[in-house]
Amino acid sequence: MDPEFRGDQDHHDGTSDATPGGYDAKRRPGELGFALFLSLASAILFYNAYAISGFEALSAPGSVPMATTAVMLISALVVTWRTARLPRVTVETLRGDILPMTVLIFAGFLVIFGLLLKPLGFLPTAALFLIAAIRLLSGWGWPRSILTALGALAVIWIVFRVIFTVLLPSGVVPEAEFIQLFRNLLSGGGS
Amino acid sequence: MDTLLAILTVFTQPDLLLLVAIGTFAGIYIGAIPGLSVTMAVSILISFTFSWEVYPAISLMVGIYMGGVYGGSRTAILLNIPGAPSAIATALDGYPMAQRGEAGQAIGVTTVMSFFGGLIGILVLALAAPYVSVFALKFQPRDYMLLAVLGILLVGSLSSGSLVKGIFAGALGLAIGAVGRDPLTFTERLTFDLQLMEGGISFIAVMIGMFGVSEALLQLQNVNKTAIRQKITKIVPSFGVIRKYLPLSLQTSTIGVIIGALPGTGGDIAALMAYDHAKRVTKNPKVPFGKGAMEGLVAPETANNAAVGGAFIPMMTLGIPGDAVTAIMIGALFIHGLNPGPMLMIDQPDMFWFIVGALFMANIFMLIFGLTGIRIFTKIVEMPRAVIIPLILLLSIVGAYAVNNSISDVYWMLGFGVFGYFMRHYGYPLGPVILGVILSRLLDDNWRRAIISDREDLGRFFEGILTSPLSFTLFAAVILIFVSQTPLWTALKIRLFRKASQ
Repeated sequence: MDPEFRGDQDHHDGTSDATPGGYDAKRRPGELGFALFLSLASAILFYNAYAISGFEALSAPGSVPMATTAVMLISALVVTWRTARLPRVTVETLRGDILPMTVLIFAGFLVIFGLLLKPLGFLPTAALFLIAAIRLLSGWGWPRSILTALGALAVIWIVFRVIFTVLLPSGVVPEAEFIQLFRNLLSGGGS
Repeated sequence: MDTLLAILTVFTQPDLLLLVAIGTFAGIYIGAIPGLSVTMAVSILISFTFSWEVYPAISLMVGIYMGGVYGGSRTAILLNIPGAPSAIATALDGYPMAQRGEAGQAIGVTTVMSFFGGLIGILVLALAAPYVSVFALKFQPRDYMLLAVLGILLVGSLSSGSLVKGIFAGALGLAIGAVGRDPLTFTERLTFDLQLMEGGISFIAVMIGMFGVSEALLQLQNVNKTAIRQKITKIVPSFGVIRKYLPLSLQTSTIGVIIGALPGTGGDIAALMAYDHAKRVTKNPKVPFGKGAMEGLVAPETANNAAVGGAFIPMMTLGIPGDAVTAIMIGALFIHGLNPGPMLMIDQPDMFWFIVGALFMANIFMLIFGLTGIRIFTKIVEMPRAVIIPLILLLSIVGAYAVNNSISDVYWMLGFGVFGYFMRHYGYPLGPVILGVILSRLLDDNWRRAIISDREDLGRFFEGILTSPLSFTLFAAVILIFVSQTPLWTALKIRLFRKASQ
């Protein structure tokens, strides 16, 4: 395996962290668009950084942001220029390789999760999310998907709510009362 | 005596020992399961442990770090899928060995060698860090600034992908870190006049988004990949085998420690460089490299574990992370009200010695868990991704929410998750972003301190750089990285090499 090799036939070999998925001599679908977006965003940020304190003094609060956003802008422009000159990868499409349906659906799931988390509470939201996600990804039947999802949720809830004592929005489920009941039972049994 | 007591803290408190053990065990599996990375795990864990005391939190993270760097080798050998970037080089010779039916031996040697490398890394950390921290007291603000720039550039240039993209990523991280009210003058910076941005962007949200959500989204595309079962026999390697590779492992451990100690570069780069080194020095391997040479396993595995100890050196002495994981740990120490840097070493040496002790224990647990429990291991790695991916996403959300109990952090995290997803696809490294976010404050403060002490005079500032040997070395290194990426350097290299070969 070539260390410079960045992916299997699906262009993502499951290695993690900052393993970039780009190619050296080719441009992936949407790559130019992304580079243009970065250039534009850098330009806006640079303008904003300039507005902090302008060229007032070298030690002004805006000088480091101005320098970093300038570096962003320059490097983004260089990347855009280089990307534009590369030939496109012929075997990939934006819909098939960069933004397949599953990814879009999951992004949607996550947004809905965020919206429901406060009003509905963590447990119901997470249960809905896990059931839908596992059912969608695994292709298992409903009973198995639901059981797996609820089982996993129970473990996560016990580990994080009870052991790590992470506070999660309780919403419609009377979580605190339940935990108290549980504790009372334990202490009652102990005494 | 105090030092010894501090090292032994881990041993005297069973709960801490247990946490290190749990962390190491979990780390091995997190490292082994492709798609779960140590960086991801540690960044999610910060948010869960921030209400804890410092010691237990650090114990868990140290265990996960140590175990995870090793764990990646398992899947690299068995499935040809490196579970973590630091195991990329391991797959080159590990998988061919497994194909020949020597998976057990490969795992055994890997485990012992990882232990050995880890041990050397910890030893160097324990011996070198106190001296470095004394030396670090002489650092001027401008040296800190240069060191921060150097660290970001090093990750950008040594990790795969182009340097320009790395530079962009680092600058982006610095800009993200600058958002919010300026700590010195209270001026709003890059907030777009939104109240939401005034407090700055939570770096934990950025980390979890970039390393958790984007990874999970990327993994959605290979949900249906299944693991192939391998028969594993005879794991514990014989003493003869170990002795044979001892000289090589000493060399590659040294490479590992040095690369690990360079700010910004970690186990993945150390492993690849050590592999290269092994290829060069091994004149007659029994089996050629790439076909299952034992040397090709020993080198990367000693190096990546040695890099763990190395990475802690700049983190503990200068407050500059040695790699992405230590960057996140610096974040964790911040949250616990500690400020890593030379003063921490002097004010609270116990903290440092405690980490050394915890690392040492994690290394031992790694050896124990590595040589046992292969059966459970294959079971866990075969856990369907259709379940793992939703769980990662769920944990990411919980983690992002838990730190400030705020929904807006969850949205930041999702935003950076999607952004990181595109960055991964288009070859922008994520490591520099995190380093940038963590170092933003340090760079900004030190630049302003330096330039104010030079009375706002750039001429004096550069004079200072040129006359101080330390600043000059750092400055030269920064320039060298830039030059090394220009056509000028390639031309120079060709000329030099031609001369050498004549």
